[in-house]
Amino acid sequence: MYQLDHQQIDFILSDLQQRGIRTESLRLNLLDHICILIEENLEENGDFHQYYTTVLPKFYNQELRELEEEAHLLMAMQRGHLLLTRNQFFLLLFAVLIGPFITYDLVWMINAAPAIGWSIPSEIWVSTLVFALYPLLVLLVLFFTPEKFDPLIPRGSKVLLGLRPFIRILPVDIAR
Amino acid sequence: MTYSPELLKGTLKTIVLKLLSDHKKMYGYEITQRVKELTGDKIQITEGALYPTLHALEADGLVTTEVEYIGKRVRKYYSLSPAGKAAGREKLKELKNFMDTMIALLDIKPKTA
Repeated sequence: MYQLDHQQIDFILSDLQQRGIRTESLRLNLLDHICILIEENLEENGDFHQYYTTVLPKFYNQELRELEEEAHLLMAMQRGHLLLTRNQFFLLLFAVLIGPFITYDLVWMINAAPAIGWSIPSEIWVSTLVFALYPLLVLLVLFFTPEKFDPLIPRGSKVLLGLRPFIRILPVDIAR
Repeated sequence: MTYSPELLKGTLKTIVLKLLSDHKKMYGYEITQRVKELTGDKIQITEGALYPTLHALEADGLVTTEVEYIGKRVRKYYSLSPAGKAAGREKLKELKNFMDTMIALLDIKPKTA
């Protein structure tokens, strides 16, 4: 049975941190697990570094920090966050950004139109066009961006809205 | 045959809560080994799935922890909190119900002894 010394334990701890495991309790859990695997499977005169580099990739798919992200995601999902699909998220953005202008125009028409006729003054429709259409165009470009060029919200991903973090995009594999 | 991670993902919390209700306290590696043992290696919980789940259960107050120092490293033992015991029972009930529904939906005939 292999016995790990203090230097090797420090090496594993610092490596875990460098690979993106920032939460201490998660790091300590992983350290213990890795130490057990090494002590149980490596022969007394075995090569620690070689075994360590072989065993570590079994913990993740692409990068070790996936574990940190998954832990935060699971916690966030338990705290009453709003989980939206991509389409629902864009609909919400449309409503939030453009809704006030449409509402203003409608309110204006209801209040003023009977008195001055139904022709809308140019200041009203020009300001609506300028202020509402600009965000609308930006949103449409984002919405129709092909998946391979969209680093923000890929198709199939979900959007988590909450206080901390305010917006988080769940990757497609987790969202599914 | 080992089951796919996708199939296990939704049941991991239930498995962990049930194991902790059957044992006074367990640590991560012990949980993975116990699951392998109980299922004849059919279910292999990956570290990448287990530790985030344990971390989330702890943050949610469903498990409590105590640490044991082994030389320079720390072993974290998990046990169920009262809320965790109730959640475990609830999750188990939900899973049984889900399995009954799947059996009916997929027309799977249960094995008779």
